[in-house]
This record gives sequence, structure tokens and C-alpha cells, in this order.
Amino acid sequence: MRRRSEVRASISPGVRAGLIGGIALVYLAMVGMIEAFDDLLLIGEQVTLGLVLLAAPPFAAAFLAVRPRVVGGRVERPAPLSGLVIGVIAGGISGAVIAAWLLIVEAIGVERVRSVFVAVSPQLIEILTFGQGVAVGTLILLLGGMALGALGGVWRTLRHGLRLPLSVAVGAVLLMGLLQRIAPTILDELSVERDWLYSKVTFGLTWLGAVAVFVVTASVTAFVIDRRERAEARPPEAGTPQGRRATRTVLLLALALGLIVLPQLAGTIVSEILGSVGVYVLLALGLNIVTGYAGMLHLGFGAFFLIGAYSAALLTGANLVTAFGLVAPEFSAHLNFYVALPIVIAIGAVVGALLAAPVLRLRGDYLAIVTLAFGQIAAILVTSNWLQPITGGPQGLRDVTDAGLSGLSFRDPQDFYYLALAFCALAAYVSWRLASARTGRAWNAMREDEQVADAMGVNTPRYKLLAFAIGGAIGSVGGALFAVKVGTVQPGSFEILVSITTLAIVILGGLGSVPGVVVGALVLIGLPGLLSQFEEYRLLIYGGVLVAIMILRPQGLIPNVRRSRELQEDERTQDAWQQIFGEPEAEQEPAAEEAR
Amino acid sequence: MGGKTLGRLERLPVRSIVLIALSAGVLVAVAYGSYKTLTLPAGERYSASAWRDFIVLGVAQGAVYALIALGYTLVYGILRMINFAHGEVFMAGAFGSYFFADAWSKSGFMNEQPWLSIVLLVLIAMIVSVAVAVLLERIAYRPLRGAPRLVPLITAIGASLFLQNTFRGLFGSQTRGYPKPTMLEGTWTILGIPVQKVQVLVLVVAAVAMVALTLFVARTKTGKSMRASAEDQEIASLMGINVDRVIVTTFIIGGMLAGIAGVLFALTFGNISYFMGFAPGITAFTAAVLGGIGSIAGAAIGGLMIGVLQSVGPALLLTGANVPSPFQLKDVVTFAILILVLIFRPGGILGTGDAEKV
Repeated sequence: MRRRSEVRASISPGVRAGLIGGIALVYLAMVGMIEAFDDLLLIGEQVTLGLVLLAAPPFAAAFLAVRPRVVGGRVERPAPLSGLVIGVIAGGISGAVIAAWLLIVEAIGVERVRSVFVAVSPQLIEILTFGQGVAVGTLILLLGGMALGALGGVWRTLRHGLRLPLSVAVGAVLLMGLLQRIAPTILDELSVERDWLYSKVTFGLTWLGAVAVFVVTASVTAFVIDRRERAEARPPEAGTPQGRRATRTVLLLALALGLIVLPQLAGTIVSEILGSVGVYVLLALGLNIVTGYAGMLHLGFGAFFLIGAYSAALLTGANLVTAFGLVAPEFSAHLNFYVALPIVIAIGAVVGALLAAPVLRLRGDYLAIVTLAFGQIAAILVTSNWLQPITGGPQGLRDVTDAGLSGLSFRDPQDFYYLALAFCALAAYVSWRLASARTGRAWNAMREDEQVADAMGVNTPRYKLLAFAIGGAIGSVGGALFAVKVGTVQPGSFEILVSITTLAIVILGGLGSVPGVVVGALVLIGLPGLLSQFEEYRLLIYGGVLVAIMILRPQGLIPNVRRSRELQEDERTQDAWQQIFGEPEAEQEPAAEEAR
Repeated sequence: MGGKTLGRLERLPVRSIVLIALSAGVLVAVAYGSYKTLTLPAGERYSASAWRDFIVLGVAQGAVYALIALGYTLVYGILRMINFAHGEVFMAGAFGSYFFADAWSKSGFMNEQPWLSIVLLVLIAMIVSVAVAVLLERIAYRPLRGAPRLVPLITAIGASLFLQNTFRGLFGSQTRGYPKPTMLEGTWTILGIPVQKVQVLVLVVAAVAMVALTLFVARTKTGKSMRASAEDQEIASLMGINVDRVIVTTFIIGGMLAGIAGVLFALTFGNISYFMGFAPGITAFTAAVLGGIGSIAGAAIGGLMIGVLQSVGPALLLTGANVPSPFQLKDVVTFAILILVLIFRPGGILGTGDAEKV
């Protein structure tokens, strides 16, 4: 009897994970992602991004369903056989769910389903049945699900030293496939023969190339892991601080060199995309100061984007679209961009501080909502007919003067790239220095507990204002760069989108982490820029990223050490100090506040 | 409150200066705008009946906002979190019922059985909204119980974006016309005032829903445990209340009200889109804050006030000041009210006015 209940206990997570995986598959199909991503060939003529998307849920379901066993307080790897069985169950159920959905759709009729669910098209059915008709298609889905499930289940049971290299290798192959617009250009520029790696017909990897990438990355990772394990076995010989600093300097120099050379190799597409990434890095660095450092959630940061863009456009000169053709706005100056920029920065800082001044007493979510309201007001005002003579209303401004230093055009992606790079580097340096300076420490104290910081003599209103001002200044530079890059300013209605995109970047990278901001911007702006298929699902993915990161990894991809401690409750309890003295945080105890 | 505020003000006189300047500015702007509008030359002036229509429209709009605001208020009362995705719960209800409304209007069922079809539409919208609200709670919010307060708010924003774009992916991005039974076209004259039939329906349904909710919270055992959980979750759970279940119930009730609001909104304005939840969501949140968040009566009062302010405000304040197309700026009025309430009376009309509470 006991044995049977044990079996049931180990199978039920498989069933659950399988059902969730199946629902995920149906979701991806009905939202239209599978079809949209199906025209992106990653490997050969067979493996498309849509197929990867189709294969991921059963695999992941099986992987997650197989739980490591805890034996005598130690975590043990699950047995391969049980991994296989649970994996097949989970994957099979996922496959069965999507197969059942397919049959239901067929029974109702694709066109009738399509009249409600617009993404359910004959092409989607074609993709899901692999062009083999419904009967064979459902069988393929079922068997494929089981096979992927088996793979996922066994994957979990692999030794760490084996699983990690294999996972890295799979990731590398997918990444190389996704980078199909950059990597071949770089190889061509370096005059490396690349036809064996990237096909000229499908643009994706060839099978030979995929296998090569897989083998190389897997063996390199295995080698690195092996060396590290051996090094750990030996008594640690800590590198001298000087030595470590030297390595860091060398690494930074190498990175700088790489960033400077990159556009020359990778061509204008990459520069164009990296230019947009740069604009968002600036915005996100600004938001990072307000939200990451000072701990005040800002939901209207797009307002600084608008302020920067409009003031840069008006200060350097732009035109309005009216019924009588292009007209100069009621107010405009014709300054050189580099003369205008300090003024833009000053405007950003002053507006940031002025808006914050009346609401300094608010905290937490109410402050967030007020910033959202400010952002919305800014967006509505600039697009309104009222301010049309200045801002151009819904049509926005056009022909922003392309006035840099002689010979450098902002519209040229290559030149703009260097401009953005310089400002990003400057802003990152400022952020980094601020974090460890007195100001940064004051923000830290304020974020962790405002009342305690107050009591300890931190002038919290002042530091709050300072955070808003510096954040606003950096963010408005991002807006100004955008205006001169594109040459038109028409982002009014996108204010909320800019705000949320910026927030997603900061959250994904890790609140309070400067490298995190860069990585976040590369992932959320760079990847969709490279793959036009992403465009439609960008916001869906941002939303999903925000939720997933907050639930799974609130400290972000590249966490700021101190910030991550605050965001992870488990780590908090481990903190002996807090365990002894309890949590003095007022936010957590609404009852105590009400009593006051 | 006194001593503490004084201490702060002494340290930062800028703040009090800014506040005084702000309130003076707002008062002057309101006085100037209204004076100019009301003294416009006879031809350009709004007639008395125009003002009456603005107010009636505002009340009807406000009733819908009140229904949505209740969802915010209930959740905030218990979880102390702003359920930013509540606007999407409302949108989901409107969207879910749309396909039935569309089919019934084409088949003629809607005009044969207008009352039955409206009841059914409301039921369907309620089911869809409740399903979305419960899933939202289960998947996005429950794992974050007890996390620092900004974490669930960010999650809620993400969930809102995710839901919006899910509906966009599932049903397409175009705005769709929501059919309305011919019976609801035209006006009824009530107390000598012509009122659009749809608006009467909106008001009646909203009033019934709110009375039912008040009775539910005041009289039933579940309502009592909701109030207990709002007071103190920990003590409530010690008293044998299943707080998790109470929270789910709260989301269910919020979802039901949002579903009703969805149908009423769609019938009033006649079209729906995946983005329709955003503005009413924020407006309703403003209404909840204005009335005093956590208070049911407050949500109702706040909703009505915001509705009227939104429809009267732009005309009254901006027309005279020569602002072209003042109704473009109606959301500015909402947001400005939100900011002013939070600055001067964060506890709302029925609240305590204690800023530290937030």
C-alpha cells in the first residue's frame, strides 16, 4: 500500500506540470506566437523559433516535474528511471492537451473559431499538424510531447557537471540562431569563411554549424567547470586586491575596445539597434537612481523621455505639421545640440524635483501612483490641441535640427552609436560613483527604512529630491538623444509604454544594478530590435517578464548585492541581526500604523 | 500628526511654500476658468440643459467607476496592495460578453428578449471577470504574500500589461462596436429631466449591486470575516478565519462587480478594445482614493464625484480659458484630482487624512 501511495505522490506533480505545460502550449498557439515565430529559421530548414516554442513547454514541464529527492537532509539527484517515467507522463499530457485542443478546433471548424480567436488560422493548424493532416498531426503532438518529456525528465537526472555544459550548449546554439542578422556580418567583415556556419538561403545556422557550436560550447564549458572544481578542491589562494583590480581594469578596457570596434564590424543594423538600446540605457539608468537606489517606484518615467525629447527638439529647432504645411513652433531656438543639452538636463532635473516636492510625504505605492499620474498628465498635455502651437499636438514635431559637431550626423547610426555610447558610459560612471558615495549611502539607508534614516540624521526630503532630480536629468538626456536620432518627436501616446519598458529593463536587470540595466536593455530592446517577429509580442513579453521576475527572482538577473537582500524574504530571515531585533519596517505592520 | 509634520516643515520650508503656491494656483485657476466660462457671451455659453446633461452623464459614468473602484477598495482593504490589473479584469468582462452580444444582436435574440439578453450578458461578463481575477490572484499575487509592498505592485503592473496583450493576441487589436438592444435607445423623462435609457439602466444596476455588496459585507458571515481580515490578517487567522479563502472571495466579488461594470460601460459607450481597461481603471482607482481607500461608501461617493468632475470639469474650467477641445483633457482633470487628494488628504474624504498610513 505504501508503495502505491509513493508512486502516486511522485506521479501527481508530473500530471500537474503536464497540464500546465499543455495550457501553456494552447496559450502560445492561440495568442499567435507560434505562428508568428515560425518564419524565423534557426537551424537548417527544419528548426524554426516557432518549433522551439512548441517544444519548450513539454520539456520544461517534465524538467520541473522531476523533483530532486531529499535523503537524510541531503539533496540527491532523482533516479534516471523515475525521471524518464515522470517526464514521459508530463510531456505526454502536455502533448495530449494541445492535441485535444487541435481536435476540438477541427470539430468546430477553423474558420468559426477564427471569427472569435483571430490567431487560430489554417496556417497555425498546418504548423501544429506538421502538414500531415489532423490524425497524424495529433499523433505527432502526442508522441513528440512524450519524447520531449522523456528528454526533459532525464535532463534533470543528469550529473551537474554534465547537465550544465549541455544546457549552455543548447542555449548557445539558440542564441547563435537568433543572432543571425549580426554574426554573419561580423564574420564577413573579418573575412572568415562562414558558409558552413550560417546558410545564405535560410539565414539561420546550418546543421553542421549548429553541431559545431554545440560541441565547442559544451566542451569549453565542461573544461571550465572541471578546472573550477579542481581549483575549489585545492586550498584557496586568494588573489591580491591589486591583482584583482588589474584584471578588472583589463576586462573593462577590453570591453571598451570591443564596444568601440563593434559597429565597424557588425554594420549599420547593429548600430541602429544599439543606438536605441543606448537611449533606453540612459532612461533606465535614470529610473534606476529613483527606484533602484532611492527605493521610490516611479511609474511615469516616460515623462522625462518626453521632456528631454521635446525640449531638445524645441531648443535645437524643429517644425510643426499644420494644415498650412510645416511651420516653426511658437517657441523655438536654434542652438547647437551640445549647447542645448545642458539646458535640457537642467530642465529635466528641475522638473523632476518640482514634481516630487509636493508629494515627498507619500510613500510606497501611493507615491508610485502619483508618478504615474504625472506621467499621464505630461503625455496628455503634449498631445493635446491646447499645446499644439508648441508641441505639435498629436502630429508632434518634425525636422529636428541635425546639428552636431561638424561632419557628425545624428541620423547616421554609426555616429549616433558613439554619441549614445559616450553618454551611457558617462551616466553609468555617475551612477556607479554615486552609489558608493555619501549620497548613495543615504539613499540606501532611506530605502531600507525611512524613519530610521530620518532618525539617524539623513535629511530624507533632500535626498528624495536629489534622487528625482538626478534621475530626471539622466532620463531627459535619453529623450534628447532620441529626438536627434529619429528627427521627429511624436511619442506622446507612448509615454506609458516608455515608462513600462524602462521599468521592465530595470527590474529584469536588477534594481540598483548598473550592469543589470545594460543587460536588461540589451535583452528587452536589443533582441526585439533584431527579430522583427518579436515586435508584436513585445509588451506581452514585458508583462510576463515583470511578473516572472518578481515571483522567481526579484533581485533581477545581475543583482545589486544589498538590494537583493531586501527583496528576498528568505535571505532576510537568515540575517541574524534582523532575527534578533525583529523587523522595524513600518510598512509591514499596518495595524501598528493605524494605532498611531 | 502635528509635531512630526512641524518638524519636517521646519526642516523643509520649501515644501510648505510649494504646497501653498500649489493650492493658491489651483484655486485661482478654478475660479478664473469657471468665471470665464460662466460669463461667456450668450451665443457661446453652455445652456442650463447642457449642464444638466453633463451632470447626468457624469453620474452615470460615475456609477460605473464606483463599481470598478469597489474592486480596488476591497482588495486594498485586505491585502494593502493596489491591484493595478483590475482595469483588465473589467476589460475581460466586457470582452467576454461581447461575442455573445454580437451573436445575439445578429440573430435578433437581443431585440426579442432585451431584458433576458442583458441579464445573460452581465452573467457571462461576471463569469469571465471572476475567472480572470481568481487566476490573477492565484498565479501572480499569492506567491508574493508578505513580500515588500512594491513587489506586488510591480507584479500587478506586469500582469496588467500581460492581460492586455493576451486579449490583443487572442481577439485582435481593433476596436469593436458593442451592440445595444434598440429598446435602450432614446430617453426617458424622469422628474422632468430627459435621461438616456442606458444611463437609467446603468444607475439602477449599479445601485442594486452596491446595496447588495453593502448588505453582504455587513450581514453575512463571509462579510464579517472579510472585515476581520481587513482589520488584522494575523489575528483573523488565529480566530479560525481562512484568510486565503477570504482573499479569494474578495477577488471574486471584485471580479463580479468589474464584470457588471464592463457590460454597463460597453452599453454606454458602444465600443470595446483590449486597451479599454486602462483609463477607467486608473479613474476608478482615483475614485477609491478620493473616497477613502478601504471604504465601500467611499468608493461609491468617490466614483460619483469623479464621474461628475470628469464630465463637468473640462467644460467648466477650460472652455472659458480658451482651451481648444477641452474634453481631450478630461483625464488630466482626473489625474490632477488624484494628485491633489494625495497631497492634501491622502486618507480620502471618508478617511482619516493621515498621510503616514500610506
